[in-house]
Amino acid sequence: MEPVLTEAARADVATAASSSPDSPSPRPSTTAREKEQRLVAWLAARRSVILGFSGGVDSAYLACVALEALGPARVLAVIGRSPSYPDAQWDAARTLAAQFGIPVLEVTTHEMLDPRYVANPSNRCYFCKTELWSVLRVVADERGFDTIVDGTNADDMHDWRPGLQAAREHEVESPLADLGFTKDEIRALSRARGLPTWSQPSSPCLSSRLPYGSAVTIERLRQVERAEAALRALGVDGDLRVRHHGDLARVELSADRLEAWLAAPNLRALTGAVRGAGFARVAVDLKGFRSGSLTVLGAAGV
Amino acid sequence: MSAPSLAAALAAHGVDARVDARAALAVLTVPNADAAERLRDADVRRAVIALAAQHGFTTVALELASATDDRAALSGH
Repeated sequence: MEPVLTEAARADVATAASSSPDSPSPRPSTTAREKEQRLVAWLAARRSVILGFSGGVDSAYLACVALEALGPARVLAVIGRSPSYPDAQWDAARTLAAQFGIPVLEVTTHEMLDPRYVANPSNRCYFCKTELWSVLRVVADERGFDTIVDGTNADDMHDWRPGLQAAREHEVESPLADLGFTKDEIRALSRARGLPTWSQPSSPCLSSRLPYGSAVTIERLRQVERAEAALRALGVDGDLRVRHHGDLARVELSADRLEAWLAAPNLRALTGAVRGAGFARVAVDLKGFRSGSLTVLGAAGV
Repeated sequence: MSAPSLAAALAAHGVDARVDARAALAVLTVPNADAAERLRDADVRRAVIALAAQHGFTTVALELASATDDRAALSGH
């Protein structure tokens, strides 16, 4: 049976959602506008750009500005498809590209064939990005694009991101980071452009839900994908991660939604939804979502 | 990290839960969803997290014990 919420429970969750303070200021600041002008100039100085495109907040914004600066013949957004991203994300990326006239190419990446990636070390992202940028380099060379860019922003530079090394090794440029764009600024500028991604939660790959040292397998990725999809269908909004601890799923929700989701009927529905995705045990994290929580637990957190 | 000592400390604070230690992750298992209601209070959650930290756990999660409890609730809709 599909788990469903009672009307009262839905109202409870909706109230929590509507009171969420997670929206950036509605209008971009003067500083953000100035950065955008510099970004347009930076892009216009390139002959052509090819970018890694996930349809997320950062790459969607960058693709739209690149399109404005260079025109559609000199921009190519490349979607690197792999099992470590949910199908729904690629559907959303394609839809967004069509809506805004962004030229798109879909390629398949094969990081799952790399045992160094599958072993899930703490620098797993390095191997994934090495594969992605290698593929994009080939596409760029074949099609005559002179600059490869990604959507890394200035906030990302403070996080543990071994994928950045792969970008450097493949001469991938990160104009949003280099020009000092923060995530909030990108959201505000996206909103001003009418991009639906402005309020979209961050969505790192599904492999990030597995503790380091726990092998990345198709089945584990699909379990996480099914569980998160079931929770979204149940009404979970905002940040959400289903962390895979073997037989146990640890669900991280936005901290400001915890009170609502810990109400008895909601907790029962949430548990049922995640069990239906193939987990024997389901636990709700009492601190709520935070980026990199598995890093704190380390490899032994399986 | 000691699951039994954390369970005892939680009980002293009015939170009756079995504690399952998975490295630095403490899984608190309560018999049913009604038993979890107390943890809706943010102050109670903060206290539980602080207690767990005192016992060496970096992460705390709440689990419902009974699958049959879930099925009963869901079939009631």
